[in-house]
Amino acid sequence: MLSFTLRKLLTVVGTMLGIAVLTFVITNVAPGDPARLVAGPNATEDMVATIRTEYGLDRPIIEQFAIYMKDLLSGDLGTSIVSTRPVLDELIRYAPATLELVLVAMTLGVVVGVPLGMLSAVYKDGPLDHVTRILSISGVAIPAFWFGILMQLFFSVDLGWLPVSGRLPLVTRPPEMMTGSLLIDALIAGRFGTFQTAFSHIILPAFVLSFPCLASILRVNRAEMIEVLQSDYIVAARAHGLSSRRIVMIYALKNALLPTLAMIGLRFGWMLGSTVLVETVFDWPGIGLYAVSSALASDFKPVIGVTLLIGFFFIIANTLVDLAYAWIDPRLRRA
Amino acid sequence: MNRNATFTKFALGLSALAMLASSALVSPVAAFERTDRGTVIVFGGRQAIPVLDPHVRYDWSTRMIQQAVYDALLKYEGDPAELKPWLAERWETSEDGKTWTFHLVKDAKFHNGDPVNAEAIRYSFERGLKLNKGVAWMLKDFLAPEGISVVDDHTIKFELKAPYAPFLSFLPWWYIVNPNEVKANEVDGDYGQKWLTDHAAGSGPFKLGRWEPNVLYEVEAVDDYWKGWPQGDNRPAGVIYRMIREPAAQKAALQRGEADIVEGLTSDDYVQVKNIPGIVIQDHKGMTTFGIKFNTQKGPTADINLRKAIAYALDYDALIQIYNGAATLETSPLPDAMKGHIEVPGIPRQDLAKAKEYLAKSAYKDGGITLDYVHVAGLEEARRIGLVLLDNLKALNINVNIRPEQWPNMVAAGSSVDTSPSMTSVFTTPISIDPDAVAYQYHKNSWGQYYAMAFYDSPKVSEMIDKARASTNWDERATLYTEIQKQIVADQPEVFGMLQNRRWAHQSYLQGFQFSPVRFTGEVDLYPLWIKEEE
Repeated sequence: MLSFTLRKLLTVVGTMLGIAVLTFVITNVAPGDPARLVAGPNATEDMVATIRTEYGLDRPIIEQFAIYMKDLLSGDLGTSIVSTRPVLDELIRYAPATLELVLVAMTLGVVVGVPLGMLSAVYKDGPLDHVTRILSISGVAIPAFWFGILMQLFFSVDLGWLPVSGRLPLVTRPPEMMTGSLLIDALIAGRFGTFQTAFSHIILPAFVLSFPCLASILRVNRAEMIEVLQSDYIVAARAHGLSSRRIVMIYALKNALLPTLAMIGLRFGWMLGSTVLVETVFDWPGIGLYAVSSALASDFKPVIGVTLLIGFFFIIANTLVDLAYAWIDPRLRRA
Repeated sequence: MNRNATFTKFALGLSALAMLASSALVSPVAAFERTDRGTVIVFGGRQAIPVLDPHVRYDWSTRMIQQAVYDALLKYEGDPAELKPWLAERWETSEDGKTWTFHLVKDAKFHNGDPVNAEAIRYSFERGLKLNKGVAWMLKDFLAPEGISVVDDHTIKFELKAPYAPFLSFLPWWYIVNPNEVKANEVDGDYGQKWLTDHAAGSGPFKLGRWEPNVLYEVEAVDDYWKGWPQGDNRPAGVIYRMIREPAAQKAALQRGEADIVEGLTSDDYVQVKNIPGIVIQDHKGMTTFGIKFNTQKGPTADINLRKAIAYALDYDALIQIYNGAATLETSPLPDAMKGHIEVPGIPRQDLAKAKEYLAKSAYKDGGITLDYVHVAGLEEARRIGLVLLDNLKALNINVNIRPEQWPNMVAAGSSVDTSPSMTSVFTTPISIDPDAVAYQYHKNSWGQYYAMAFYDSPKVSEMIDKARASTNWDERATLYTEIQKQIVADQPEVFGMLQNRRWAHQSYLQGFQFSPVRFTGEVDLYPLWIKEEE
């Protein structure tokens, strides 16, 4: 198990380096001159040159790459040419908001998706099954940005139940930062009113972000449950007179959940990527929004930083799933 | 069945848990914000403010907050825009137009209580010039740091290298920083750049409050602002500039009362919200020009007859319709609100007979060519103008390839003759009301800038521009600008399109809105705003 874990960790390091190289190349071959953009529309050539020199953009690309990799290995992700701040500081500032959103969305996806998938399988071809199948197809097919705007119009404008965007009302001072999650920090500080408003702000973006994930979990869980429910051991259990609830909840669901677990691992990384759209629609100040604004300004260092961070979380999530599988099934450790 | 029913209840209950929790925790709808200090105005804007330093950046959202926390020697106010004394109560210039002397008000003070004196003015201009960023381009060719001298505590003198008529028109954008505060926060001789990124050292009507990048930027009213408050006791406690990036979200925030004023609705949204009770639309003729820039140096559009043919083929009324009527056609390269503007006789309007006549004179008399039309990706109006062009040029047997590009890529392509597309849609907002601000875009020295994507080359026009900017005699300048406008239209480096109206939507309780066309798109003077609370 130890050597398996070490092999996996080495793969993580190699993949991260690969992501760094690839993203650096892609962002640097893309057209656009960040120095000219930052210098402003009327800047003269020497003003643009001042900024190029300040950020090392006047050096040959190979030299820029060598400096970037050297800095990267020492934990320095460079400086944003737009905000003039270190990228690492900005990631530390924005990442907790994204993680909070993704974790709430993931929880929502699992809590709603698993039971609905299970019900859909139990009542296969019934009205509930048809409804959940429509739901699961819609979840995969509907674009997040469009769905987000639709939700804003319905729940915020028409019904007036939920705020349009942001994390907190404007005049509400955020609680002292402990974890970066407003929900948790508000609870730690004993500010239940702030917790309530923060929760009302996260509902819509979390629901929109979770919808495709919920749909995928629902589909996978339904398919697995249908297969498991037709297994011999389930038939045997029924013959022994065990209750339907016990059969489904204890014997069937446990086996059907294994592929769902793998799906959750994959969806975690996918959700991090989707924050780019959802955070833009809901003005959620996380790394997705940071990536969009940086990309539109050809600000390459933050784009690379965000890609590395998302890649890191993605790999970690999948590695944990692999390790969990290996722990459950010893044959995989020898593979 | 009973077992199944129990199980179903359990599963459904679990699925509904999140929704139930949600409904129990929703918050009530907000109106404008109230604090212990008074009312706070909420401005919803699409553009972030990454760097507040007044000598480093100056896009519209940045300048709106800079204008709130800093003062300058002069200020633009009104429609048409006029230069008003501010930190300078009066000024004079020498006969040769090279020496400018400004007399400062005596009661101005920075937020920390330091007086705004001549040394602060000298330091601020020196800082702007030496950093060579942001606003530096406006003065650096005509003013050296050594040319600025303190005459006494309340008098400052500028010695220009050469006469420069637009000098005065740029001064409202040179904000004055407190040298003591900036020097105290210098790191490695950076002129306090790092510190001024998210701090302020100004004397304006507001001081900085919360600064949460990409979320909100708050300014708090200075109780004893040296110039007083035009709205008296009704002045707000502050303004929150809140990031709302999507037009649909801005509209929703306005309807819900989460924003008091927004700047980024679509043309269709403005038509819709106009009919909502309690919402007011500010709709003003701006100075932002729209032009379809031809590459005049390379490719088919280097042929002036082809350019003329395209200009006469375009349906100009359609441009106005795209903006639901909130635009006016350009009658000159200079916007109407600019000094020296004339209505150039014979500026092209749709005339297919003339279009075909010019096409016949060109090297492409049978058409049969495809021209690229590039616009900023996501800019719906620019895309629709491309569709109008596509439709109109069919009559000339010319095909149009509409290409959306991200703004950085468009600017990069437009910086070289070889890569600049045949046609590019460009919106340009002049920085001042002096005609040089637009005329110089047609000077050969401007090649490489986004607004000079046409690579227009007319030695005659360049010479007249140089002469006009050096003259101190307005009558002489006005005559020159008349000729410049006529010549540029005759050479047709672009299709002169329309002036898009500047629009904002706000709650009817928001008072004191003052439009000035010289401000950038979206930019509002926050100083006179206030909220009228119901009795």
